[in-house]
Order: sequence, then C-alpha cells, then structure tokens
Amino acid sequence: MTEMRRILQLARTDFSYFFRTKWLMAVLLSLNLSDMLVIGLVYKGLMTVNYFAFFAPAVVVMGLFMGSMDTGRRIWLAFREGVIQYYLSLPISNLGVVAAYLIAGSLAAMVYSSSLLIVAFLVLPAQAVLNTLILLPFFFILAMGLAGIAAALAALASTHGEFFFAYQQLFQVLLLTLSTVYYPQSVMQQYLPSALVTVASANPLSIAAEALRDFVFTGIPIQPLVIVQLVVSSVPFALLGAFAYYKALQTLQTKGKL
Amino acid sequence: MHPIETEKLTKLYGKTKALRELDFTLDEGEIMVLLGPNGSGKTTLLLILSTVLKPTSGKASVMGFDVINQSTKVRQVLGISFQDARGFWRHKPIEILRFHATICGVPRDRRERLIEEILKDLELWDARGKLFMHLSGGQAKRLEVAKLLVQRPKLAIFDEPSSQVDLRGKRIIWDHICKLREDGSTVLVATNEVREAEYLADRITILDEGVKVACNTLQSLKDSIAGGDIVELEFEAKDNKDMAEALGRLEGTFRVTKEEENHLRAYVSMAEEWVPKMANICYQKGVKVVSVRVTEPSLDDVFLHFTGRALGAASS
Repeated sequence: MTEMRRILQLARTDFSYFFRTKWLMAVLLSLNLSDMLVIGLVYKGLMTVNYFAFFAPAVVVMGLFMGSMDTGRRIWLAFREGVIQYYLSLPISNLGVVAAYLIAGSLAAMVYSSSLLIVAFLVLPAQAVLNTLILLPFFFILAMGLAGIAAALAALASTHGEFFFAYQQLFQVLLLTLSTVYYPQSVMQQYLPSALVTVASANPLSIAAEALRDFVFTGIPIQPLVIVQLVVSSVPFALLGAFAYYKALQTLQTKGKL
Repeated sequence: MHPIETEKLTKLYGKTKALRELDFTLDEGEIMVLLGPNGSGKTTLLLILSTVLKPTSGKASVMGFDVINQSTKVRQVLGISFQDARGFWRHKPIEILRFHATICGVPRDRRERLIEEILKDLELWDARGKLFMHLSGGQAKRLEVAKLLVQRPKLAIFDEPSSQVDLRGKRIIWDHICKLREDGSTVLVATNEVREAEYLADRITILDEGVKVACNTLQSLKDSIAGGDIVELEFEAKDNKDMAEALGRLEGTFRVTKEEENHLRAYVSMAEEWVPKMANICYQKGVKVVSVRVTEPSLDDVFLHFTGRALGAASS
C-alpha cells in the first residue's frame, strides 16, 4: 500500500468520525439554520438590502468554518484518547498523518456547508449552478486552510480541551468580526478604521462569502482574480496549520506529551 | 543483523532518566520478555522502538532501520499493542480491526476471514458491533492485542498484553502470541507479571530504573543464583550429623540446615547436578533416603536477586 493510499485511508476514518457525533452536527446545523431562517427574516424588514440573500451565503461560509474547526476537536480527541500515538506507530509518515487530517477536515466541512447550501437553494434558487460547481474546489482549499488553523489551535491547547474551545471562540470572533460575512463592507466603513476594513476585505471568509453572493446567488460570471485571492488567502492558513500540527507531533515524540 | 539493536539508548523526561545507556538486542524468531516494575523503562523502550517516542541520545534500529531517520520504514515492519487500548471511541471493534488491517497492508482476500477468526478466538465476536467506548477494560485490551494478531508483523511488540484480562483470556492471548512466533514473527513482550513471563519467554531481560540488570533464559537466570535451588531431604535414620557435614562439602552447596531429626534442607546451585552427587554419597555411607524434593527459585526470587527488591514490592 502506498503512502497516498494510507493517507486516504486515514482521512476516510477521520472523515467518518466527523459524522459519528450526530448530536453535535444536529446542534450546529440547527443553530445555523435558525440563524438563516429566523434572524434573516427579521432583518429582511429592517435593512435596505435583501438581508436573507445576504445572510444565506454568510451561513454557508459559517458552516464551512464550523465544519473545518471540528478538525481541531477531533485532533484534540485523538490526543486525549491516545489515538495519535497509535497513528505514530502505523506505517505512515508524520506528514502523512497531518495531510490526512487536513483532507478529512476539508471534506467534512465541504459536506457540511454544501448541505446548508442545498437548504438555502430551496428558498433562493441558484442562478448559476455551474458557478457553484466551479467554486467548490476553491472552497475546499479554504476549508483546508481553516482546518489547518483548527489543527494549530488543537496543538496549542495540548490535552486541555477547554482551552481549544476557548481559542476557537476567540479565533471565530476575530475572524468573523473582521469580515464581510455578516456585515456589508459599506456598513463596516461607517464604523471601523480603514485599515481594519482592508483586513476584513482580505479575510478569506469575506472573499468566500462575497464570491457566493456574487457568483452563486446573483449569477455574475466568475472573476478569476477573486479565485486567486481566495487561494492566496487560504493557503498560508493551511501551511501554518500543517506546520503547527507537525511540530506538535514532533513534540509528542520528543517529550512524550504536548 | 538483529531484529532489534540499541546502543547506549537514553531517554530523559525532564530530569527523570527513563532509560540509561541501554544496550539491548533481540534475536530473530524469539520471544523476549522485558520484566520490570512500573517505571523501570519498559514502556519507554517499546515506544522508542515503535517510533512513537524519540530517544534523547543513543541509537536504536529495528530490522536494520534507524528509528529516528527511517521511522516510516520501521513502522512498516513492526506492530505494537499498547499498554492502554487505543481506539476511536465511536468506532466498533470490527471497524477498528478493518482499518488497522487495511492500513497495515493485510491482503483483502485474507482480511475479513482473519478478523472474524481472531475476534472469535479472543471472545470479542459478540461485541463486534459495540462502540469502543462501551467495551469493558478487558474487551478493549483484547481488541488491542487483536490488532497485532490480524496484522502479523515481522516484529510484534506487546506491552502488558494480558493486563485487565481474566485468567482464561490470558491463556488464550499467550497461546496466540506463541503461535505468532511459530509463524515467523519475532516478539517482544513487556510485563510485570511473573506467570506471563514464565509462560512466554525464550529469554528474559530484567530492567530496573532504566538499566538492564540481567538478560538470559529463565533457567540460566535461575541457575545464576548461588544457592537458589532448595533440596529437601528426608532420611530413614534420625542421626544424620555426618551427612550434613558431607553434603556441606559437596560442590555447589551453599549451606545445609537441619530442619528435624531426619530432615535436612540444602541450598544449592543447579540442583540437577547436585542431586546425583548427593545420592552417590548416601550410597557410599549406606544412608537410606526416604524422599527428595527440589524447589527451584521463582522468577520473583530471580528479580530479588538481581535488583535487591521483590517484583511485587517494586511494582507497587
């Protein structure tokens, strides 16, 4: 069996683990759906923009974010349950273990956010199904970046699960606040310094949400520059996360603990 | 080339020395038992060999592959059954074994049959559909052992393979480990259970505080204790003062004590050589022996001899 097949085997196992915490998935989905259906409808009457059309992509991106972040929870569980040491004894390299987790995390996030996208389509029919299909691989790269960040947070939290969830919340607040996921850029410009607005527009979550709004829900032809921006802003996250997780495995091998 | 070779292998956890310049080798096709109390460095050695841990200094190789620089190669030739069972809490035993067998390259045509056979042998077949987190301690431990029995690696490492398992289960596991060796695997077992060591070992290495204090076959270890064998002699006549003196002069006698009028106890080395000599003297002196009882030192005695502590006391 080749290294690549082992990576895929490990990724498949981790991917299936994502769907075994059904209660957690149900809670996350219900939170996202209630956001989309209830809050969206309330704000629709209060704002000048069609807030539901604005909000549905936000929830899909949020789903991608939550699904990716679950990679960190599973890594933390693997540390806690000693499964990481088991992985380190299997015929797969440390880099292979890292790659498997990122692939599984990205796949899980894609499936999770795609299910939200399908729900959103029931209410707002997609005007560009082809655009959606074109965007999905690039969303996979974004999911890998976010999974990388989750891996880094899990490594940082060591065996203290509560720290991981605290770090995740902090990261979530920072990344979502400084983004155009929930607020239009025009609104942000009224309240935030221009430097922060620039950061928000470069945020990969903003780019993804805007891409969904423009290319999927509005049907504007896809602009390659946006795709490049999405990839360029996501890849560093994936590399950083992969590096952090790899270092965590090395620390585990050297110290016997994190 | 030895399947396992270590040279001055040292592992530090902070200031604690878990292994101290350990030189250790394992011969092909044998079952080597690492015997030592908790904290003696057994598990640390196994984890280094299986590339889960990195040594602080020194060298270690498995089947000729360096554990630091060729860790992926090492992982392809060995398998380890951990002291604490490792499994995905929400996976079922049969899924865990399938995953393990697949990633370790067990051919597809043999995989399912082998898994079923091992699950049945280890009495886990009925629990194959339970979640790992719902297994009892003994079941989880048996599942951990089952991974290696399905994998059948060239080098199989077991860390306390029968701890938490009932007596019947222990015997089944030990027989499977012996069969693994018969089928061509080299086996390294760490334990602090005397019975397990006696049942399995071709050779025993005694570790204490990270240092190898002895390594040999069980019989040789027992024989190396001067006066370790106890020979109880019962004579027909009551006055045997001359006999005590004569036996005391025999080669291999450590000391002789008089227990009763017609009962002597001799502490000797290698009773199998001493008893014929004793019989010869009795014949020459015309003394009739009613009974002879030989007691070998136990593995506990061996451990006490080499470390100055009883194994049970050291483990606690």
